[in-house]
Amino acid sequence: MTGANGVVAEFAAWLTEFLPDDYQDRYREYRWDLDLRRGYQRAAFEAGWLQPTWPREHGGRSLGLADAMEVRLEAAMRSAPKLPNIAGPGVAAPGIRQFGTAEQIDRLLIPLLRGDEWWALGMSEPEAGSDFASLRTRAVRDGDMFRVKGRKIWTTQAHLSRWCTLYARTDPDAPKHRGISCLILDLESPGVTIEPIRMASISDETFCEVILDDVEVPVANLLGPLNGGWQVAMSSLNHERQMIWIMNWVEIQRGLDSVQAAETADDDYASGEVFTELGSLLADAEALRATGYRSLHNELAGRPNPEADILKLLGSLTLQRVWELAAAAAGPRSIDDTDLLFERQDALAATIYGGTSEIQRNIIAERLLGLPKG
Amino acid sequence: MDVGLNSGQLALRDSVRDVLRTECPPGVARQAMTDPECWRTVWKTVVDLGWTELAVPADGGEGSFGRVDLAVVLEECGAAIAPIPLLSSIGLAAGVLRAAGSAVDEVLAAIGGGVVAALAVHPPGSRLPGVPMTMQSGRLHGRAIAVAGLPRADLIVTLASSADGPVAAVVRVGDGVAVQSAECTNPAQPIADVEIDAEPVVTAPVDVESALATPLLAAAADLVGVADAALARSIEHAKSRQQFGKPIGGFQGIKHALADNYVAVERARSLTYAAAARLDDPATSPAAGWTAAALAKAAAAEAAVGCARTGVQVHGALGQTWEHDMHLYLRHAWQGAATLGDSRALYHAVGRRVAGGAA
Repeated sequence: MTGANGVVAEFAAWLTEFLPDDYQDRYREYRWDLDLRRGYQRAAFEAGWLQPTWPREHGGRSLGLADAMEVRLEAAMRSAPKLPNIAGPGVAAPGIRQFGTAEQIDRLLIPLLRGDEWWALGMSEPEAGSDFASLRTRAVRDGDMFRVKGRKIWTTQAHLSRWCTLYARTDPDAPKHRGISCLILDLESPGVTIEPIRMASISDETFCEVILDDVEVPVANLLGPLNGGWQVAMSSLNHERQMIWIMNWVEIQRGLDSVQAAETADDDYASGEVFTELGSLLADAEALRATGYRSLHNELAGRPNPEADILKLLGSLTLQRVWELAAAAAGPRSIDDTDLLFERQDALAATIYGGTSEIQRNIIAERLLGLPKG
Repeated sequence: MDVGLNSGQLALRDSVRDVLRTECPPGVARQAMTDPECWRTVWKTVVDLGWTELAVPADGGEGSFGRVDLAVVLEECGAAIAPIPLLSSIGLAAGVLRAAGSAVDEVLAAIGGGVVAALAVHPPGSRLPGVPMTMQSGRLHGRAIAVAGLPRADLIVTLASSADGPVAAVVRVGDGVAVQSAECTNPAQPIADVEIDAEPVVTAPVDVESALATPLLAAAADLVGVADAALARSIEHAKSRQQFGKPIGGFQGIKHALADNYVAVERARSLTYAAAARLDDPATSPAAGWTAAALAKAAAAEAAVGCARTGVQVHGALGQTWEHDMHLYLRHAWQGAATLGDSRALYHAVGRRVAGGAA
């Protein structure tokens, strides 16, 4: 415990030093400050706080899972700046570390972790969303190249990224999960067209359509085994499954603060309704935290931790309810509150990205409860 | 903070589960609905095994149990819908006495030895538990409703206001104690109203929030068990019952309802174990302890009622019959949900505190 507290105290002091003095008071402005967020990523990488469980050269300090969780909670509670290209350090990097060749790691990992090169995840297609394994983009071997044809969509920040983990079908005759490979695509390659898609809300996580017209990708850019793309995708997305709830949790805390800050309606009935929902949401937030700890405890003890599978579903649903309550508590003042509008729209994405709530329920029902596949 | 179970607690859970599986299958609860004495057989086993000794708080010395152990055992009894007054005795009544200092040690020891006690903390007309009695000139006076386990109890624990502030008071069932039994939602766990005008066995000053925290936690643990068991029955049925040529558990309408049940159970279980650990931590303030226990109770009741209602739906017409067990879970869940504050009332109370809003 003293070890953890020592590490957390060290991180807290570092964070205080990094952040502007008025950061907490002016979070609503700083959250859009891309220079600050880029600077934060670089500084966190250099100080070993970016991925605390990883070794020093990969932006960490080889902490255990429990200490790393305490550090992340501290970051969350202080509303530490959001990484500007979360797909890079959060999803692509773990995949590269796990499956990359020495050359790939050497060339790609440090610029990614420092935030110098951004990454996009080339997964969804017009006909392959939740049913990711049915993707149609084709990669055909041609000497020491793959020639890629197809179309990716909802590819976040592709227009700002240098690289893309591109999932493409390399064996059309295999069962659909077994014929996919992951290719590291240089988005500056000839034949790549990137069209940003206008978002319904203010956002710095813009979707793009990525059109691949006979694009050459060197065979050396294959990430993981040929036709092993499904495992690369699952393993990258599952990386630090334990930690995802923290992101939801901190946003829920901000929402709860916002509910409490709203002027309470003068009508007893109306404020009573807000109190009841607030109490229920406080239970959700605490359940999320306690389940995160329970799950970590079981993992460290080498026991199964099925409870971890509720974190995504509970966290994302709670986040939406929190901001809806914040709007209700604000009454008509919610209408001209554009920050609140952003929060509500942003929360709606949480039940879609990383596996929709419907897919989460299927996972819980089939894998944990043992119900048959539909 | 640690909210996981250690290997000793897991072993305790497994041994309680094994005993109840053989000694107390769900049919015993059905039998208890019409046979008012049949609970005594299971109760004797439970007392002989020493489970009632969990009434005595952990700071009582070596080898004694904390609230996490208490929660583990009560959860299993809830899962077994065991028609015994274990929750009422060691969870609710003894739970209040944990906050009452050494003056009540003898009473706790008696409960630990198997004397049945009940907790009277529902003032008439209030959805939340509180202080239903008054202490004046050495006499305890007042009325409480919906006292769980009272028809089987020898002792009543209650909260009373006095000139020197709130006290926990213990009276013996007998002269000056009018017990008014009635039909209830779950006859396997009978309740009664009580009117008291009697000299208490003992009184001790308490902080009301601290006094109610352990009972709320204990009720939560019981309901988590009920929820989990009802869900398990639904899953079992959804795997075996075939319609349209396949198990009904393959349809998303069923699948997603049961997945939501699972989330509700684990949400409540996490809150319950976190609250138990919090209450065992001497650094926790009375308000923080009450809040944690109240949220656990609210969540557990939602889970139990939700899982049992879904259970009836998943079982179709079968779930509406006397012979099927699902109504036993539902009755237990509904009755527990209305005891010590329904979920909405508890959420409201916590929300109002946290928001710091005026009434």
